Formats: sequence, C-alpha cells, structure tokens
Amino acid sequence: MIEIISSPFMQKAFLAGILISILTGIISVFIVLRKMSFIGAGISHAAFGGIAIGFFSGLNPLFTAIIYTIFVALGIESTSRKGKMTEDVSIGIFYSVSMALGITIISLSKSYNIDLFGYLFGNILAITNGEVLLTLITALTVTAFMVTFLKEFFLITYNEELAMVSGINVRFFNILFLIALSVSIVISIRIVGIIMVSALLVIPGATARLYAKSLISMIAISCLTGFTSVVAGLFLSYEYDIASGACIVLTAAAIFFVSLILKNRE
Amino acid sequence: MRIAIQIENLSVIFNEKEVLKNINLSIEEGHFIGIVGPNGGGKSTLIRAILGIIRPSSGAIKIFGQDPALLPGKKETVFGYLPQHLNIDPAFPSSALDIVLMGRYKKTGLFKWPGTKDREIAEKYLAMMGVGNLKDAQFSRLSGGQQQRVSIARALAGEPRILILDEPGTGLDAVGQEDFYHLLKSLLKKMNLTILMVSHDIGTVTTYVDEISCLNINLYYHGNPLGALDDKVLTSLYGKNMDILMHSGVCEKCERLRSQ
Repeated sequence: MIEIISSPFMQKAFLAGILISILTGIISVFIVLRKMSFIGAGISHAAFGGIAIGFFSGLNPLFTAIIYTIFVALGIESTSRKGKMTEDVSIGIFYSVSMALGITIISLSKSYNIDLFGYLFGNILAITNGEVLLTLITALTVTAFMVTFLKEFFLITYNEELAMVSGINVRFFNILFLIALSVSIVISIRIVGIIMVSALLVIPGATARLYAKSLISMIAISCLTGFTSVVAGLFLSYEYDIASGACIVLTAAAIFFVSLILKNRE
Repeated sequence: MRIAIQIENLSVIFNEKEVLKNINLSIEEGHFIGIVGPNGGGKSTLIRAILGIIRPSSGAIKIFGQDPALLPGKKETVFGYLPQHLNIDPAFPSSALDIVLMGRYKKTGLFKWPGTKDREIAEKYLAMMGVGNLKDAQFSRLSGGQQQRVSIARALAGEPRILILDEPGTGLDAVGQEDFYHLLKSLLKKMNLTILMVSHDIGTVTTYVDEISCLNINLYYHGNPLGALDDKVLTSLYGKNMDILMHSGVCEKCERLRSQ
C-alpha cells in the first residue's frame, strides 16, 4: 500500500483520477437525467481525431483533443438544430467521421511508435507533469462553473421551456454544458481511455439515481461512486498490471450492480 | 382596464406549414380566458408565442406593451407557466417543495439559491393547492393529479401577472377539476392575475371563463363563452359532426330510474 502511494507516477495518477472523478461525478448526474449518454460516447470517440491531430502536429494530444472535441460538440449542436434532426443522428455522423479522420492522420503520419493503446484504454504510467497541471486547472474551472450554475442546469434538466420563461438562455447554457462535457472527457482519457471514458459519465450518475432524493444528494453519491471506482481501479491496475481504464470501469460497474440489487431488495 | 396581451396579425409557419394564421386578439388584465380548439389547431403554439419561446413568422405580440422575447431578461416575473407535458425522469431527484421553489428562481436571480422567504412562499402555494402535506414527497412518485397541483403551485410561486395553463385539467378527476377552476377564479381577484387556459374540454371551460377564444389555425371566435357554442363556430373548429350536450343540475335519467 505504502509502496503504491509513495511512487511518483501513482501520486500523479491518484491526483488526476480524484479530480476527474469529482468532475465527471457532477457531469454524470445531468447526462443521466437528460438521457444524453450517447453524446458522452460520441464525443469520447470523436476525441480520437483530436489526439491524432496532436500526434501529427507535434502538440500535446490532450490539448489538441480539447480544442477538437469542443468544435465537435458545437458541430453536433449546430447540425442538429439547423438540420432539424435528433441529436443522436448528428452524434453518429461526427463520431464516425472523427474516428475516420484520426485513423487517416495516423496512417499518413507513419508514427507507429505512438502510445495508441494507452490513449484507447488508459495508461497511468504515461501521465506527464504538464498533463496533471492541465487536468488540475481544467477540472477546477469546469467544476466551479457547474457548481455556480447548478440551479440553472437543474431547471433546464427539469423542463427547457420553463427555464426559458424563467429568463435562462437555454441554448447558451446547453452549449456551455457541451463544452464542459468535452473538456471532462478529454482530461479523463489518460486515466480511463477513449473507449471507456463514457462509462465514467454514465455509471456514477446511474448509481446515484437509484438512491438520491435531491440534486445535492445525487451529485454527492455520483462523485463518491466515481471517486471509489477511480481509487480502487488504480490500486487494482497497479497490483495486477491491467490497463487502468478497464479496472476503473469494472469497479464502477460492480458498484452499480450491487447498488441495483440492494435497491431492488428494499 | 390595461391590456395585458395584444396580438396583431400573428402568423406562425413551421416547416412551410401555417400553424397560426392572421390572429388578432386583445386580452384585458384581470380576465380569465379559455382557448379551445381541436388537436393541431395551434393552441399550444399560440401560448408558446405569447411566452416568447417561439418567434412569430409575421405580426406582433405585446405583453403589457413589451415584446415577449425581451421579458425573460427582466427581473419581474410576468408569466407563470404550466406546460402540457413534463417528460421528466421517473427518478427525478426532487421533492414537491424543490419543484415549487423552481418558480422562485427568476426572482432569486443568478448565483443565488432560494432562501427562507422563498420557502415560505412556496409552502403557502402548496397548501393553497391542497398538497401542503406532500412537500417532502418525491415529486416523480406522486400521482398525475398531485403532480399537476404541485406544478400549478410552482407556476404561482413566482407571483406572476399572467398565468398560462396548457391543459391543466389533465390528471385531475371531475370533482378535482371543478375545485381547481373555482380556485383559479378566486386567484384572479386575489392576485390580480390574468389567466389563459388551453383546454380541449369546451363544455367545462365555458362555465368558468370570462371570454373564450376558438382556435383552429384561424381565430374563429373570441368573446362571451356562450357564443362559442354556436353551430357555425363549432363546425369551424371540429367539423360537422359536433354538438354540445348541455345538461341541467338534475339528471333526468336518474330521476326517471328513481321513480320506476
């Protein structure tokens, strides 16, 4: 135990992991209540295109992925609105196009030595000090933003028309939420990986939904589920040398199913 | 008397189809208005245009002389609104009181949560709607009728000047509906409210409202409720096979059976 905690790369992993568990814990509540889980999966897969741009350009892949996924999120919103189609259709388009773009760029760049596996499934060994700092700044900023406008997001989640009549600019807040979601996804990629990051956006909120009676209790249970999954998952990953993303997601899934069984027994 | 809602030559077009055509309507402050018409006749579109949720394709709407699109940015709560459907998650994490407090959000403004005074006001309206005992119950677990009462308490909690109700009778039984319409009548005076109520139930609405608007893309009639029962108006709204059966307070069939 002490060996795990004292190792510098694990300290970085724990710090980044705890930050993202709190951030995704808050975001997850709204993803679940607003039935937006597909957009989480869509943006996380679309992040692959942004990571590939980072490899190709020589910039930090997480940095380019943040910028790229924000554009993808705005593209999804704008295409759905202008094309008068449901969001899942435009998510389907953007996510497959971004994956195709990512594969094309990586094929063209002939960079076979890149850590693709780490980005897809999570690799705590690869986290740099700069990335921990990027995670710290973005996680604190996005968490502060979500907490500040919690009341507004709550009313929008309850009913968008009522929110409009109450003077909330619903489109503006929806766009900001998509940006917050994109940032949360990208900073979670190093720990959980592109393939599994959407689980952190769904499972904590889904677990909290089983028991919560108020918004605050739902956020608290969701963050606690995310935190426990990340900490236990990182320990398991270190102990058994398994990709961190898989350990975190399996732990979160175990918490969810145990909670579901206990709830149904009540 | 002030004009609360002034609508001039309003038309709304959705997907190249005219949903509302050349509507002219003037509603005085303190009046109780019923809007009736068939499904797809534009009732909900009209109230969404009045609320500023959708922009007119042509024509103009003024709410106390102001453009409704500019009202959300102002501190004053002009509208209390009850939408027809909520479509919320069946485990939505909120008590009945939390839902009513949402009606106070505009008054509390950005960055602040409702305080003690807001809670007192919210509890007052919950009690007024006869669901004060349910304030701590989870909203999504309440029956349809109880949810409707809580939602109306929410619409009133902002202490609006105009109350807009889209099919408020949904989920209320016949006795509950009667009580509810009486309550609305009393609020009209107590809160100096103007009430706009959309309903498919033309028979019940005519009993309670001051004026009625009959809408089927065009506005066929606006005025005294009894005028809406005219054959010509009914045919414009619902086609030829429509008639209204008026019955007195005495059930003749029941009396006949009793005497046998």
